[in-house]
Amino acid sequence: MSVEVEVNESDLAEMVEQVWESYLDPEGISPLIPTYDENQPSEVHSSVSITGSWSGHVVYASSRAAAQRAAAAFLAMEMDEVSEEDISDTLGELANIVGGNVKAMLPSGAQLSLPQVVLAPESSARYPNAQRISGVYGIWEGEPVSISMWHSSAENKEEGE
Amino acid sequence: MTPMRAMVIDDSRAMRMILKRIVTKLNFEAVEAGDGQEAMDRLAELTEVPELALIDWNMPNMNGLEFVTKVRADPRLREMTLVMVTTESEQSQIVRALAAGAHEYVIKPFTEGAMIEKLALLGLVPTGANS
Repeated sequence: MSVEVEVNESDLAEMVEQVWESYLDPEGISPLIPTYDENQPSEVHSSVSITGSWSGHVVYASSRAAAQRAAAAFLAMEMDEVSEEDISDTLGELANIVGGNVKAMLPSGAQLSLPQVVLAPESSARYPNAQRISGVYGIWEGEPVSISMWHSSAENKEEGE
Repeated sequence: MTPMRAMVIDDSRAMRMILKRIVTKLNFEAVEAGDGQEAMDRLAELTEVPELALIDWNMPNMNGLEFVTKVRADPRLREMTLVMVTTESEQSQIVRALAAGAHEYVIKPFTEGAMIEKLALLGLVPTGANS
């Protein structure tokens, strides 16, 4: 059974800020600038699923250029040294970190999946019976980045069937 | 002087690279493992036991908590300092890890400075190594 829970934009924004401060922008010179546009485009994404006391997904999506920049920052590499594997690993770890912190705000009994990385645009079709409930949408170094939370519920499932 | 050794155990290669970078900067020799089982296998091969292990919680094959429990049950590995480095931030999980024998707990995301401070608190690096 899944219980009602509210992890709002402010909570997500705080987590995202910590990720930027820790890995993507430790010098504090290149923050994620909010756009509040949940329809902004993406070219790659990663996600973790949460099951148990709450069911849903946490999704990190961005342009390929932003993902490459994230990998370079995360792994302390030059942009032109970044491989596909570096991008994939970094995207997976970013979803894992945000997802793990979301899970900590949920009632006990939630489990986190290992991350999934898809080097293709985010699509609601990938999360059947789930509804986007919260998100942080922004521009980083001129490129779109978003972190969103999707809730799967019995009600959503029935509506989707 | 022989450098200290640190084992970095995480199924994320990206996170292993970050942790390896930090410990190498602190003059540790780094050994990597992708999960708890691989770490146990590496430890069985090593003639000298690393002084430090940085351990993720959620990993395939053998998770971090199982690894800590196994290390604590092995007299040969008794001197290893065990630090959990994980997104598992619920109080109950922290208590479980510490009760199983972890010495410290670092929650992801962490800054390099925060990690160095934790290691300084454990006496593994000089206080002020962060400055």
